[in-house]
Amino acid sequence: MSAIDDLVTELARLPGIGSKTAQRLAFHLLKEPAEAAERLAQAIRRVRSQVMACGTCGNLADEDPCAICRDPRRDATLLCVVEEAKDVAAIERAGRYRGRYHVLGGRVSPLDGVGPEALRVGPLVERVRNGSGVREVIVATNPSMEGEVTATYLQQVLRPTGVRVTRIARGLPVGGDLEYADGVTIAQALAARREMGEE
Amino acid sequence: MPLVATPAVVLRTYRYSETSKVVRLATRECGVQSAIAKGALRPRSPFGAGLELLSEGVAQLYLRDGRELQTLAGFDVANLRRELALDLGRFAGATALAEIVLRMAPAASHPAAYDALVAGLDSLVATGIAAADAAGIRALWRLLAVLGFEPSLRGCVRDDTPVDADHPVTFSAAEGGVLCERCAAERPEAAQTRLAARDYRDLLVLNDPTAPLPALDAKHAAAHRRLVARFVRHHSGEADRFPALELWERHSWAPLSPPQPVAS
Ligand SMILES: [Zn+2]
Ligand SMILES: [Zn+2]
Repeated sequence: MSAIDDLVTELARLPGIGSKTAQRLAFHLLKEPAEAAERLAQAIRRVRSQVMACGTCGNLADEDPCAICRDPRRDATLLCVVEEAKDVAAIERAGRYRGRYHVLGGRVSPLDGVGPEALRVGPLVERVRNGSGVREVIVATNPSMEGEVTATYLQQVLRPTGVRVTRIARGLPVGGDLEYADGVTIAQALAARREMGEE
Repeated sequence: MPLVATPAVVLRTYRYSETSKVVRLATRECGVQSAIAKGALRPRSPFGAGLELLSEGVAQLYLRDGRELQTLAGFDVANLRRELALDLGRFAGATALAEIVLRMAPAASHPAAYDALVAGLDSLVATGIAAADAAGIRALWRLLAVLGFEPSLRGCVRDDTPVDADHPVTFSAAEGGVLCERCAAERPEAAQTRLAARDYRDLLVLNDPTAPLPALDAKHAAAHRRLVARFVRHHSGEADRFPALELWERHSWAPLSPPQPVAS
């Protein structure tokens, strides 16, 4: 396979990139100065070698614990549970949340073979139980069926700890992922969160 | 391209792009279809909240023969079934039903299978958590029966000898039903399960949609889940492709065990 074909194949494997776009990107990289392509290659290598999951919250970061877990100005009594690290990024972009996070690493999805035991639920319960001073857990899984059943399950496992468990409001469109919601919508959904188990 | 309107249940959803979804639908009139819902992820999408796992409605499909991916023009949602998200056991049972339709239903239209799926989902919504297992087990047996995998339960699967419901009985997942005493003794196999008289009677009731659901305690419910899951694996030919069924069968999330001390 030629070097160009090789690159096109690799690019086309990325989500949302078809073969036409992959070709366009490949030729763009060839037209640009060599340094630009080298910077991209470096950035990809760096991200793979330096980024790790924070041992405390599961967020992706250059350091463990991550900057959010280390930041003393963040409210340690508030824990926001999300499916993926990219959801942390989305909420951080909205810029209103001052607590900490817990990344589950996915959501309950039986058809994909993902049960609760495949998620970071145990570490969440530990974090809440171990006198960490967490007073409220905000469940910010996506408003899909899988996100909802994950939220229900978390509420059930957290109940014995006595912590307050809230769910972000349905301001988010049903079926719409946090990742794609705008900052105002995320801020509203967080502000209008409700106690779980009241429905 | 003909536009077809058919009752449909969403069996699977995939993000296709930033704005579109691909869905796998069980349709009443056109079998299982994959379709692209363009713009389904836009804020004011014409599909609204309908294209969620297990929701039911009327799908408008542009169908083209021989195409793998059809185009979904609209979906008028009638029943979102959000209640199923309130309990993992029922949700897992419902996804196991969806999975059996995806893997075992014929490509062609099969209204009876569609109706059995909908009836199963409805019964999971309608029953309380206590009866959820029995409802799920019955729904699976009913769906299997309409798909052509009805187990032989009253008479021996080999020679039709009537089997007595007051005694323990041998069930063969591989052969698809119960065995009389003579046949069970003659050729024992690995895929056989010995059922106590009570479990056998419960199995008969679980397969009879006109009877009230039996009360199953956790242990017996687990045994019945295992039996139907084993039956599916034997008859699908693809034992490893049923992750939802397996999750439901194992109920591995419950009871929630306290963390074990680390052995030193
Ligand atoms: Zn962290
Ligand atoms: Zn016999």
